[in-house]
Amino acid sequence: MSIANLLNGVAFGALLLILSSGLALIYGLRGVINFSHGALYMLGAYVAYQSVGALGFWGALVVAPLVVAVAGVALELGVFRPLEHRSHVEVGLVTFGLAMIIERVIVLIWGEDTLPVEGPGGLAGTVSVFGSGYPAYRLFIIATAAVMAVGLFVWLQRSRTGLHIRATSQDPEMAEILGVNVSRLSLLVMAVGGALAGVAGALAAPYFSVQPSMGQAILIPVLIVVVVGGVGSVGGAMTAALVLGIGQTLGNVWAPSVTVLLPYVLVIGVLLWRPTGIAGKRVV
Amino acid sequence: MNRFTRDGSSPRRVRRCIALLAVTAMATLAACGGAGGSGSGSGDEPIKIALIPPSGGVFAIYGRDTIKAWEFAADEVNAAGGVDGRKVEITAVETDGTPAATVRAARRAVTQDGARFIGGIITSPEVAALQPQLPSMNALLLNSSAVDDPLTGEQCNANAFRFVQNTRMAIGGVASSLKDLPAKKWAIMAVDYSAGRTSAKAFTKAVEASGGEVVMTQFAPQPTADFGSFITKLQGSGADGLYVHENGVDAQAFVNQGTQFNLFDSFKSIVSFKVINEPLFETFGQKVDGFNADLGYAHQLDNPENAAFVKAWKDEFGSDPYHVEADNYLTAQALFKAVEDAGSVEPKDVAATMEKLSMDSIVGPIEMRGADHQLQRSSYFAGVKFADGQLGWDDITEIPASQTTPTADPACKL
Amino acid sequence: MTTFSPPTEADQDPVPSGRPGARRGPRVSRRAWRAAAVVAVFVIGLGLPVVVSNPYYLGIATDGAVLGILALSIGFLASRCGLISLGHTTFFGLAAYTFAISTTNWGWAPLVAALFAVLVGSAVGALVGAAIVRTPGIGFLVLTLAIGQAFYQLSVQTALRPLTGTYDGIPIIYADGQTMLGRDQADMGDASQFWPIAWTVLIGFVVVVTLVTRSRFGRTIEAVRENEERARFSGLNTFTPRLLAFMLSATGASVAGVLFALKANYVSPNVFSFVTAGDSVIAALVGGWTTAVGPVIGAVLYVFGQSELGATGNLQLFTGIALVVTIAFLRTGIVGALTSLWSLARRVLLTRRTR
Repeated sequence: MSIANLLNGVAFGALLLILSSGLALIYGLRGVINFSHGALYMLGAYVAYQSVGALGFWGALVVAPLVVAVAGVALELGVFRPLEHRSHVEVGLVTFGLAMIIERVIVLIWGEDTLPVEGPGGLAGTVSVFGSGYPAYRLFIIATAAVMAVGLFVWLQRSRTGLHIRATSQDPEMAEILGVNVSRLSLLVMAVGGALAGVAGALAAPYFSVQPSMGQAILIPVLIVVVVGGVGSVGGAMTAALVLGIGQTLGNVWAPSVTVLLPYVLVIGVLLWRPTGIAGKRVV
Repeated sequence: MNRFTRDGSSPRRVRRCIALLAVTAMATLAACGGAGGSGSGSGDEPIKIALIPPSGGVFAIYGRDTIKAWEFAADEVNAAGGVDGRKVEITAVETDGTPAATVRAARRAVTQDGARFIGGIITSPEVAALQPQLPSMNALLLNSSAVDDPLTGEQCNANAFRFVQNTRMAIGGVASSLKDLPAKKWAIMAVDYSAGRTSAKAFTKAVEASGGEVVMTQFAPQPTADFGSFITKLQGSGADGLYVHENGVDAQAFVNQGTQFNLFDSFKSIVSFKVINEPLFETFGQKVDGFNADLGYAHQLDNPENAAFVKAWKDEFGSDPYHVEADNYLTAQALFKAVEDAGSVEPKDVAATMEKLSMDSIVGPIEMRGADHQLQRSSYFAGVKFADGQLGWDDITEIPASQTTPTADPACKL
Repeated sequence: MTTFSPPTEADQDPVPSGRPGARRGPRVSRRAWRAAAVVAVFVIGLGLPVVVSNPYYLGIATDGAVLGILALSIGFLASRCGLISLGHTTFFGLAAYTFAISTTNWGWAPLVAALFAVLVGSAVGALVGAAIVRTPGIGFLVLTLAIGQAFYQLSVQTALRPLTGTYDGIPIIYADGQTMLGRDQADMGDASQFWPIAWTVLIGFVVVVTLVTRSRFGRTIEAVRENEERARFSGLNTFTPRLLAFMLSATGASVAGVLFALKANYVSPNVFSFVTAGDSVIAALVGGWTTAVGPVIGAVLYVFGQSELGATGNLQLFTGIALVVTIAFLRTGIVGALTSLWSLARRVLLTRRTR
């Protein structure tokens, strides 16, 4: 049974990983914690719900990230750019307010009910893993997260844009002086961050079901992961996501009361001891 | 950098003025808003009922069906001229289902809209928070949904009446059938709040009384999106019987995810409580075939009142009523009778007649127990069978109140 | 790095009227006027239940006053120290629960329980403050959020069920015959009976905050807020003032928590919720936290909105819009906007007259 438990943890960690990489990218580049990331994730899930009927699950998995990427760009143009000269805390609070607005608008459109989304037919059953049956769909989530993680890593480390992103995260002014088009980069990062949130939302739809409270429910774990992982460090966030997911799920088996406090203890400890997070200022 | 000093006005004085203005404005506004509130109970005053269901969350669908049932009952009686000539008026206020919001909404309904009777509150914590406030609001609470025992036990209240079977009564129905089930080692999966805890305890007692044992008990918060870790633990428990108590959306999630994990095949017997009801038949389909479930009401019940009710309901809505709708209709009938007997809508008078209420209803003859304000009615236990492409109740057993709740809870001091 | 740049309330020395040898009379009488104004507002406010008989609006006023104390605690910390806390529910909720537990579970007298609850909240405030006041900006925000949510998790932990009742909360029951300030338990839920208590405490707290802000201590905190490094180099101890300010703020939140529990006669994990934490900050901000009055006004508006919009479920929508609009356009909140309007009007009127 512990294999199944471990996999539960990895599955949750995988979902967190996808979602938090997006937030970490945005945090790294803009220095702002985007409190509306949970709302974007929720938007992805609801868009997936809406598209599943017409386009099937795979179609929804493409449409949702696209829509949320557009939302991310809108956020960049409508909020981050005009408020560039305000303090990071103020912009953070604005995203906090936006989260409330977006989440409510979603409910006004789609209603208060929990909406069921069926996963793709091919993944509906169980797969035998080391003797015990485990839902295939959760394994799919793990696989997807692995692919995304590798893809992001390669992109950030090997490509030119990735280089620019890493440079700008470390020192925006210097990067601009050296010729990086920071505005265009910001647009790109917001789009990618949004897309990642959209993918996470679409993946979560058959897993968690689509409901009004999902944005708020995921926000705190994602924040904790990003902050613990390190200011804008995507690699740090990914590691922290897996650690949190596995640690919490396993701990739930042995000592649930203590485990539930683990993420908070972790983030408080990290922030007090090493305010820039475990990975510090490294992006990957 | 004080930009107000240039023209000489002191910011502090201005703020003091604003404070005074705010206080005065508030007072004036409020005084103008003034005269809402209670009227007297004389003459042909209508029966004003405020329903406070949740707008979202796990119980949203029960909330909607509650309103549906009350409006059906109100329309039915208003069409026949009202209760002793009094019209029945229903106002529905949706809240987010938290106790604080419900108490606020109840207060508002009583002070602003003149409601005397409050219904449609779904969960036990909301009822528990509201009950102590009832005397100061001069209103009666008609509880057709919240099942936690203490509500008519140590938290009982002179202004509150319960019409649904409480947990002890409902589990009593389950317990008596335990000996007929093959499983002897049970695992319990219950929702983590008062009702779930009570039902888990009651089920454990029933299991032990029938010679079995409970090998694992776990509780999941409400709502829980991911039952994965609970399910894997259940699979490893070594039990051959499963008792599950989950509500609404959580029940759906548990059944869906349990099916994904092939959980239910590993048990000889499964007893579900509050999980399965008619609206969810289609969603559940084959997944719950072979479960045994509690039943608060079955539209097949054979008595003249029920036959008339089911026919009228089916004519209006095209489907058979289920327990939420029936319980609320039943409560409405009880209220109308109590008002008629009292000849007034004053909460005190109606409470007095309701305490002694005895009538024939859609669930047969019922009686209100004055000692704890718990309605005496039967509980049911049934099998769930998937046949001909749909789910249905099978083999319904009736267990009377005299067996499930022979005495009032001694903790209730009314 | 400052988070907000409100118009600073420079504590002006009174300008003598220009006559040579002017006495220091004006300063004394200005203070006396201020004190008299406070007393007047207090007395008028006490009479509110006489003017407003509608229990619904009175209930809003009472709840608004209680939330106002919480909002003011947050606003004080935010505007004077530049520390925005998304976790003041920690002290609010802790005090509420302590009061509930000591009266219901342990049978203490309500007044004793109330004082004890404030003490507990303040003590925890001191500990938390000592740990976190040195963390700047966003780090502080996330820390307070994490601490608040950790307490939420504690309040719903199965292991603590006998103490906290987890998701069900605790219906408060005084031991037999106990009264609080001469009122028995049922009376406390009655807004007209509770109002004098809430109003008195509110005015008291507003006065305390105002006096602290105007004192030398207040100026020290502001110096630290503006530039912590410079303040330190000037020889000021930058830790203790911030800690003391945090403790005052935590005490305010605790007092609000006790009042909340007293009125509702029921505590549930909601007092620790993320929504409560966020909404109280927003109420303070939208009201205008550069003043003592702003957060209170914000709180009353919020409570009013909560009652009116609760059924529609759009409360969070409007709260979010209010937040965004305030930060983007009305940087000093509603009070600031009204004040600007007032001076604008004055300027317009004065200019007209002199033409």
